[in-house]
Amino acid sequence: MPFYAAAFLLAAAAVTPSKPVDFDREIRPILSDHCFACHGPDDGNRKAGIRFDQKEAVIGKTIIPGDPAKSRLFVRMSHEKAGMRMPPANFPRQPNAQQIETVKKWIEQGAEWKTHWAYQPPKPQTPPATASKWVRNGIDNFVLARLEKENLKPSPEAPKTTLLRRLSLDLTGLPPTAAEIKAFLADKSPNAYEKQVDRLLASPHYGERMAMQWLDLARYADTHGYHIDSHRDMWPWRDWVIRAFNNNMSYDRFTIEQLAGDLLPNPTKDQLIATGFNRNHMINYEGGAIPEEYLVEYVADRVDTTSNVWMAMTMGCARCHDHKYDPIKQADFYKFFAFFNTVAEKGLDGTMGNAAPMMQLPDDTQKKQLDEVNAAIARREAQLAPAKVDELYNAWEAKLPPPDLAGPESLRKNLQFHYDFEGNLLDTSGRYRHAKAVSGDPAFNTSGVGRGIDFDGSTVLVSTGPAEVAAPFTLAFWLRFNQQKETTVMRRGTQFEVWYEKPVVFSRHRRFATLHIDIGANRYQSKEMLPFGEMKHVAIVSANDASLKLYVAGVEMPLERIGPASPVSRLQSIEPLEISPITKRARFKGQIDDLRLYSRVITNDEVYQLAIHQQEPPVLAIPKAKRSKAQNDYLREYFLTQFAPTELKEANADLKRLKERKGDLEDQIPSTMVMQEAEKPRETFILARGDYRNATQKVEPQVPGVLPPLPTGAKANRLALAKWLTDSNHPLTARVAVNRFWQMYFGLGIVKTSEDFGSQGEPPSHPEMLDWLAVNFVKSGWDVKALQRLIVTSATYRQSSKVTPQLLEADPQNRLLARMSRFRLSAEVLRDNALAISGLLNGEVGGRSVYPYQPAGLWEELAYGDRFTAQTYTPSTGKDLYRRSMYWFWKRTVPPATLATFDAPDREKCTSRRAVTNTPLQALILLNDPTYIEAARALATNAINASPDAAKRVSAAFLAATGREPSAQESKILRDLAARELDTYSKDQKAAEAFLAIGESKYDSKKLKPAELAAWTTVASAILNMDEVVTKE
Amino acid sequence: MTHSTRRHFFGKSASGIGVAALASLFQKDGHAAPALEGLPHFAPKAKRVIFLHQSGGPSQMDLFDYKPKLQSLKGSELPDSIRMGQRITGMTSGQSSLPVAASVFKFEKRGQTGSWMSELVPWQGKIADDMCLIRSVHTDAINHDPAITFIQSGSQQPGRPSLGSWVSYGLGSENQNMPAFVVLLSQQHSLNVDQPLFSRLWGSGFLPSNHQGVRFRGGSEPVLYLEDPAGLNKSSRRNILDAVGALNKMHQQDFGDPEIATRIEQYEMAYRMQTSVPDLMDLSKEPESTFELYGPEARKPGSYAANCLLARRLAERNVRFIQLYHRGWDQHNDLPRDLALQCKGTDQPSAALVMDLKQRGLLDETLVVWGGEFGRTVYCQGKLTDTNYGRDHHPRNFAMWMAGGGIKPGAQIGATDDYSYNITEDPVHVHDIQATILHCLGIDHKRLTFKFQGRHFRLTDVHGELVKKALA
Repeated sequence: MPFYAAAFLLAAAAVTPSKPVDFDREIRPILSDHCFACHGPDDGNRKAGIRFDQKEAVIGKTIIPGDPAKSRLFVRMSHEKAGMRMPPANFPRQPNAQQIETVKKWIEQGAEWKTHWAYQPPKPQTPPATASKWVRNGIDNFVLARLEKENLKPSPEAPKTTLLRRLSLDLTGLPPTAAEIKAFLADKSPNAYEKQVDRLLASPHYGERMAMQWLDLARYADTHGYHIDSHRDMWPWRDWVIRAFNNNMSYDRFTIEQLAGDLLPNPTKDQLIATGFNRNHMINYEGGAIPEEYLVEYVADRVDTTSNVWMAMTMGCARCHDHKYDPIKQADFYKFFAFFNTVAEKGLDGTMGNAAPMMQLPDDTQKKQLDEVNAAIARREAQLAPAKVDELYNAWEAKLPPPDLAGPESLRKNLQFHYDFEGNLLDTSGRYRHAKAVSGDPAFNTSGVGRGIDFDGSTVLVSTGPAEVAAPFTLAFWLRFNQQKETTVMRRGTQFEVWYEKPVVFSRHRRFATLHIDIGANRYQSKEMLPFGEMKHVAIVSANDASLKLYVAGVEMPLERIGPASPVSRLQSIEPLEISPITKRARFKGQIDDLRLYSRVITNDEVYQLAIHQQEPPVLAIPKAKRSKAQNDYLREYFLTQFAPTELKEANADLKRLKERKGDLEDQIPSTMVMQEAEKPRETFILARGDYRNATQKVEPQVPGVLPPLPTGAKANRLALAKWLTDSNHPLTARVAVNRFWQMYFGLGIVKTSEDFGSQGEPPSHPEMLDWLAVNFVKSGWDVKALQRLIVTSATYRQSSKVTPQLLEADPQNRLLARMSRFRLSAEVLRDNALAISGLLNGEVGGRSVYPYQPAGLWEELAYGDRFTAQTYTPSTGKDLYRRSMYWFWKRTVPPATLATFDAPDREKCTSRRAVTNTPLQALILLNDPTYIEAARALATNAINASPDAAKRVSAAFLAATGREPSAQESKILRDLAARELDTYSKDQKAAEAFLAIGESKYDSKKLKPAELAAWTTVASAILNMDEVVTKE
Repeated sequence: MTHSTRRHFFGKSASGIGVAALASLFQKDGHAAPALEGLPHFAPKAKRVIFLHQSGGPSQMDLFDYKPKLQSLKGSELPDSIRMGQRITGMTSGQSSLPVAASVFKFEKRGQTGSWMSELVPWQGKIADDMCLIRSVHTDAINHDPAITFIQSGSQQPGRPSLGSWVSYGLGSENQNMPAFVVLLSQQHSLNVDQPLFSRLWGSGFLPSNHQGVRFRGGSEPVLYLEDPAGLNKSSRRNILDAVGALNKMHQQDFGDPEIATRIEQYEMAYRMQTSVPDLMDLSKEPESTFELYGPEARKPGSYAANCLLARRLAERNVRFIQLYHRGWDQHNDLPRDLALQCKGTDQPSAALVMDLKQRGLLDETLVVWGGEFGRTVYCQGKLTDTNYGRDHHPRNFAMWMAGGGIKPGAQIGATDDYSYNITEDPVHVHDIQATILHCLGIDHKRLTFKFQGRHFRLTDVHGELVKKALA
């Protein structure tokens, strides 16, 4: 296998006697990987008291410089007796002969020991001098010097078209437009390229592109993640990140505001929003979960994320015991933990959206509206002053006749059947017309009116005996519906049906549906909508064929007739009433209780009796002194709605409307979660084995001992921590940041393990360059855009990405940068690229998340049910379908499926690097997902509009997708495809129309011939599937 | 070649470049994806796993852990000497009393082995002599999210690779036209609303994402966008693929990037999957006897019975890891009704799968695992009556069974006290189950590792002992 051989040669080359063994690159990884588990920094698990992680414990003791034979470390590693050899045979990771030889060479050469490079502050570096004209800036000096060492040469500069496409994708995540390519090709000035860099850095899409990486690191998502995984709103924080990058906020401020914006003096709204960074972790409210357990998880996540994002430290490894490889004690973990353990939060929270602490973010209009509503509520409440209402109420009650304990006798008159569903299906009307279940197994649960019957989509009930629903009649019942789709509640034969429309989402917590009643040929719908998920009393009353009345909660709700009136014939059939029947609509889900059918019209008063018939015995029968507050409120409400003077009745009704309006308004006002110190901050203890039940020693906030200390005198809080991180002498912050930016462009960081700069991470490929970049980054005032500019204007970045067999063999991973890296676009950019190429993209920046196309059921098959948010996926419509993918609503337990297939993480934890895989499932998406078919059609439309000539059409589409003209051969392949498919579709107009109907956008059927457009859509689809189009070259 | 060198290359896939280049090198021998170098560590007994996960926590003392003494203890308070300070969930911690609820179901001895099983699982009784029944499994978690994440990934907190993805990573795939790790979901038979599932349960964590489980859904499109778009016929599809292939080939000649060759290969595999997957899902050629064995529900796409049948068909196609999830085992209330409904829907197909594999000679090379994420409490949640009770989550002991490749048939492992509250014999931790599953596949769980954030992570964390008594 040539790859391995090549890698082996590279490794072998490093230990030829001519080259000194490099401790950081070659020795520490061996010690770390094969020895530290038992002889490392972990005080609790050290074997035989021997350690190899500190110079003073090793040099002169287990290692005698210059003398391998006297160095016990080497002697034991190379011992011929298996029983004496280290590491022991049962240790899972054994060093190979090459590594043991390297240790020997290192000892022979004098066993030079270095403290781990990453914990030393970066040193100022001078780029190695060179006479080469290839060099454009300091980066190139370092890269060239290393290449020359390996006898390699840089690749030539990539063609201008490739460069502009690469640059645009890298700095904005979007491809260049044809006009931009044209302008760049025409610009012959020496700084034409730099002008493009400046243009792109100034684009509003630059901030989006930079934010994409940050969202992975910050584990940003639109749901809570654990268990039910319902909705949260953190997009104001996401938009803050985009703005910060676009405004070129310095990286130190970017750090301080996100970690401790709330602790700055007089923080601005934006500085508070920024602190959402450390509220992006998952939050739980699983029923029965233990709050203390999750408080620890939230804080531990902040430790993991913060230490990883800013320091590429794996502090999480020290949660249960001292770190096995790096000098981080378990106590260090909990001291760091203490910085984040002071937030005013609850262990279980988030049922209704965001979890405290959070801030409301009304815009000016919303603020004004809210003020107005509050003022109106205050006025109405003054009108309904309790003392005044009480006085009127008492007078009213005093005049009432003694209450009838059995309820009005009249409600038993003409009762055809009555199911109270108190645990059975019996008819209590005295007619023994019991209901029966024809399918499913009925479940009875608390309904708020005693017990009611639950419908889960499988139960069907029928009444026994005829159900006369011709005038006069009254059908009354309690109803709660939880089905999200158009649904039949009940029906009788084909003559009578009660159903509701697909519920409309008003705001996150408020959904409503229009109720329909079809009777004979008459069709009615409610003028107002009924609330989703709430128990309401419903009565349908018909006095004669020409009239039908609907009462909801005891109050008449106007009905609207659809179509003309027609008489309802009294059918001779004896069809029963079916509840939750199987119809063309969705099955009913929800609850029904106290179902009554009368063969007469019942009075308004009787309807009200039914609707308020909530407690047994009737509340009025309870002596005044014994009534609870709820019972009193209930009676007062009864009085105010029915019997109070008109003025008060109106005030009461108005107050209810105002409060609903306020609720709606508050629901529309976005909020975002923030950091805020608790009034009484929790104390922090070391937790044995990391378990919340095992608190041991109390600790105070402090930074790990291996790093410089916090400045003395500063209060040890998050602000001090953030300032410490951004101190110019911090060994890690700048290096880690620079390395991650580098990774964005080259696929790999200078330190490949961008999440781990510890002893188990990989040493940097170009250590001096990393330091040079880090030191200058700090010197520049942490100028993020300047750093990007420096990287993309280097000759290293501008190289061709062509892979020669020699380079492939010598450096398959392109660590040495003798060419530009070439890799598939990230999941989000891949889709954005197709939308942009086709002209469908909606480039709006920021705002609430959206719901692009996704096959039905992906959420629902895993979800909990209808009672929580973010359990059902309703695709967006119109221009929201074409927003950039970073705005796709990110449900952690079911992340956007097509993005996940292209390696997007689930955002449960901080992610520093994504995999880049290449699978058949990806091919299926690019070939068949309506997103890409619709994009292909749009691209084809543009091509057809560009010219009647086939070659010119191919060129137009090809240029839009790749940034270059096709070769003659490429053009021919695509023209042949067009011709063949035109032939196919000309013979099958229907197929063409079906193919063109995919996606929401419509084509201009007057201007475009379906067969022609369909044929060119296949061509465009082929183009969008080209490797070159899904790859950054 | 050493293991570490091999890992060095696999590490690449997580770093952004070249995994496919590598994969293409390994495809010469006709494998869709190769095994890791050095794997299997020893001769495997099983080639593949079918994991029948029963989500929610099946009640062990109503199914497999017979406790006759509870009849006389019915309604009495759970003694502190038994509870021993065990933490209980927020759902019952507020109850003033923890009364013992005896099972309402009858038990009898099944098979030559004489294994006590309840009347709810008559079919599983028929395979008593094929399975190894473990009554002493215990877990660390007490709520669904952490417990199910734990049994599927070895960690209560999200972020680790799932069991199936570890196996896919370690052993690769033996079928060029199917993913190595397939997931099938079915909905509950009980009436109460059940628990949610999470795609992390079949996620790849920090392993390369091509090892994540691929969900095969019931209905017309089992795999995401498997079907050609409406109005595009098969020959047009082929024409598009040929054009893409030709263009990519030219580009590869120009650019020399082996990744392009891999992409060409992946497109061909996608095309083959458009035939192989519908062929897998098409049950029309199954004889009547199949549906007699699995039950009539097996004709209903997406049902547990249909998924058990699909599991057999996937096993026939050499899919490495077949993961089923069936929801609806969370009987906090109305247990007698809901547990009976659950069993009515799952008992026959679970047993039928084992019988079917056996009659086809596949059981010897297929490991079947049945079980949930924890057990249920002996004390009643809610109101205890003669005919009705509910049970809360119980992590200290629950029952699972395994059958097939590498497993001792008819074995019974472990015992619990009279309350089915504490293990008295042979405790088996979730990590032990995981270690044993890997062992049957020829994998030493301590040596299947992946380096991430500086640590050599493994499925069993730093724990896990083989359940030797379970091994054939």
